[in-house]
Formats: sequence, structure tokens, C-alpha cells
Amino acid sequence: MRVEFQGELDALEAGFQETGEIVLRSIRGVVDALRTQDVELCDEVIAFDDEIDDRYHALEKQIELVLARQTPVASDLRLVLALLHSGLHVERMGDQCVTIAKLTKLSSHLDTKQTVIESLVDMGERCEQMTKVSLDAFSARDVGKARGLHGLDELVDRANRQVFGEVLGYVHDPEALEWGMRQITVARCFERIGDNAVDIGEQTAFLVTGEFAEFTDASH
Amino acid sequence: MEAPRIDSGKIAEVSHGLERAEVESREKVFTVSDLGVAYSGNVALQDVNLEVHKNTVTAFIGPSGCGKSTFIRCFNRMNDLVPGAKVSGTVLYHGQDLYARDVDAVEIRRRIGMVFQKPNPFPKSIYDNVAFGPRVLGMGGSMDERVEQSLRQAALWDEVKDRLKDGALGLSGGQQQRLCIARALAVEPDVILMDEPASALDPISTTRIEDLMHELKRNYTIVIVTHNMQQAARVADMTAFFSVIVDDDGAGRRGILVEYDSTTKIFTTPSDKRTEDYVTGRFG
Repeated sequence: MRVEFQGELDALEAGFQETGEIVLRSIRGVVDALRTQDVELCDEVIAFDDEIDDRYHALEKQIELVLARQTPVASDLRLVLALLHSGLHVERMGDQCVTIAKLTKLSSHLDTKQTVIESLVDMGERCEQMTKVSLDAFSARDVGKARGLHGLDELVDRANRQVFGEVLGYVHDPEALEWGMRQITVARCFERIGDNAVDIGEQTAFLVTGEFAEFTDASH
Repeated sequence: MEAPRIDSGKIAEVSHGLERAEVESREKVFTVSDLGVAYSGNVALQDVNLEVHKNTVTAFIGPSGCGKSTFIRCFNRMNDLVPGAKVSGTVLYHGQDLYARDVDAVEIRRRIGMVFQKPNPFPKSIYDNVAFGPRVLGMGGSMDERVEQSLRQAALWDEVKDRLKDGALGLSGGQQQRLCIARALAVEPDVILMDEPASALDPISTTRIEDLMHELKRNYTIVIVTHNMQQAARVADMTAFFSVIVDDDGAGRRGILVEYDSTTKIFTTPSDKRTEDYVTGRFG
């Protein structure tokens, strides 16, 4: 029944997963660029974002058509809504990668501090892992795996605070401070990518259970 | 500039229907227990239990042959008119057994009006169609006022007020259906049963009938059978999904009530897989 409609839903989900795969490459690229302070790789990541945006807009357009023409309900409606939200979260992850790439370029003429770079690379690798987990959990409708993202996010948040504390120590060295301030923003971008992965996990839980609940209450 | 005032409660009620707890807090109009209907010994519907509450819209949905039309006809004893029909179980109407011996079926049908799939006005004037019921029942008061009020409630007055003496059959299909609703309202019913009231109408007329249901539920209790699932989603506070079970030998087909809950629940997170399959179009 509704073979055409099921095909459209499958195509939407495949489009979302493909966008997610591209964002994963973007995160990997920006982590490598940070580690090696590679300005050219930063430019590639920045240029790559157009493809992410195009794919997100195509997904959004397809969702609009499915809503208008198929009026999905129940689990179909939840899938379409979860894809719309999750697609936007993935697109935002791509935007964070662009910001990280731009900041890395901006501070490339300054001396780097290896301890901070190592912390940032660690954050980036955790974010890559979280993004992968969030995409896999969505695909497998695995609420347990999605909930596990909360624990991973705690580690990213902790690393974010470490970077902040480290940079505070540069207060008497203006050049190091300029570099450090930019790295605080880089850390913040990774921290947001982690949050977006948790958001996708929450959409997975909504898709499966029909109830939306934040895994953590950010207001506390 | 002053910000527009928004009544969020009103928006919620119109766009989401009433919450189940709110519906269930309202007075029970019908209490159906273990209801079954058989035609000449063949079971058409069995084991139905549900309650219909005052000032709500309740929709019955389900595939063809699931017994939803049979069921709605139990509410005003229309099945009495079908030879060989036998109703078992109980239907309480405001606590009173509808099928008790001393119940006057004519009085029941005045209190519980019905509108059918195909508009069926009498071949008389618009005015006489509305006045017919009150005249037969000898209802007092000004007939002109009664006719006007009924036509206003059915959202037809402005379109027909200058031609009340014209024949009803000259009206459009959508207008004829609203005339039938006015005719039902003229005898001051408590409940209006609607069996596929918009399935023979164009989309604009359908929208008018649906808007009318939202209006009428303030003063009446409405029960509707519809094939159009989105119509149930738009108008009903509560939705009952009926399905068909086929005997192992394939000979018998019986309607059953699968799930009865708030319309929001039925169309977002139904509890029963069969309901999910039906509302998402995977079955039926």
C-alpha cells in the first residue's frame, strides 16, 4: 500500500543520511586542518559547505512537497518532522565547521599552543564520533544508542571548559591571548556540534516513542 | 500598534480538538456496552464498548464493511427499520436504555437527529422543509422564528432568506445538505448523527459543513461517520477506529472497534498497530 509514498519517505531519509555523511567529512576535514594548521584544507571545508546547504534545502523542499501532497500522519508524520529538524541540525554542524575553518585561518599567523590544539582535536574527534552515533541511532531507530549521546556530550563540554581555563592563563601575553580567544570560539563551535548530535538523538527518541523530551535540561 | 489578542485556548481547541480528559469530564450522552448487531443471524458488529460525551464531535472511521454505519444507526434505533436486524448489548442515552420496551422510538429520533450521505430534502419549499418536523410534532412558538433560527444555525439563512418559498430541490448539493441539517435542528434535538455528510459534496461545501460542525458542537453533541480520514482529523475531538475481522473459513466478516481515543492520539501516536496501518494508509 502507498508504494509511491513509502518510496518518497525512503528517499527523504536517504537524503538526510547522505547530508550527514558529508557533514562527517567536513568535521574530519576541520579537525585535520586544526591539527596541521593547514590553511588550504580550511578553504576546502569552507567551500564544501555550499554542498551541505544545497542538500539541506533540497531535503526541506522535498519535505514540503510530501507534507502538501501526502498529508502524512502518525509514525509517517513523526518521521517527516524528525527529518526536517535533524536535517537542520546537520546543516548547522556544517556551519560550525565553516566557522572553525575561518578561525583557524585567521589565527594561522600566530604561534599555536600544543596543549590547546590537542584538546580541540580531542573535542573534534569526539564530535565526529557523536555525529556518527546520532546518524546510526536515527537509522536504526535505536533510542538507547541515542540516549547514550548525552554521556558523550558531557566529555565534549568538559573539554570545552578545559580550553577556556587554559586560555585564561594567557592573560599577560597579548599575542597568545589573541590566539587563545579565537580557540575559545573554536571550542564553542565543537561544543555546539555535540549539542546538535544530542538534538538528533532527541529526534530519534521522538520518532520512536512519539514523545519529545530533552535528554538534558539546558536551563539548569 | 496594539498587538492582536490571541485566545490560545480557542486556537488549541479548534486546531487540536479537545483533550481526552476534557472530553471525559463532560456529561455522558451515550454509554455503549457489549453492543452487537446481526442481520438475519449474520453478525455485522460485535463487542463494542464506548462513551460519547456532551458537546463533542465523535468520529467513526474504518474500512468499508467495518460496521461504522451500522453502529451509528444504533444511536437512534434506525436498525429497528431493517427486517431481521437484531441489536444485543446496551446503549444508554443519558443513562436510559435506548432499547427498553417503553421507549418511544419517534421521540428518540426527535432528540437524536440524523443527516445522511446524500442530501434528501422533501420536494417542498425551503421553508416547509424546516417547518415540517415541528408541525408534525405540534411544537409551539412562532414557526417563522423557528425556521429562521434553524437556518441561521445551519449557516444557510443568508443564502436563502429571500427565497424561502422556492423549492428546496433548486438548491445546490451543499445547500441542500445544510437544509437537511437545519431540518434536523428545527425539532430541537440533543444529538446530531451524521453518516458521511460531506462525501457527496464538493470541497468548498465540505469545508462549510466542517465549519458548521465546529459551531454546532457548542449546543449539540455530534457523531459522524466518515470515509475521509482527514475530515475526522479536522473536526473530531474523539475518533473511533473500526476494522473487519474475517472468519478462518472466509465466510463471515464482522466489524469490531479497534481503538477509541482522542483524535490527536489516533492521528499522532495510535496505540494499536492496526490503527497505525489504517491512518497511514498501509491497510484498507
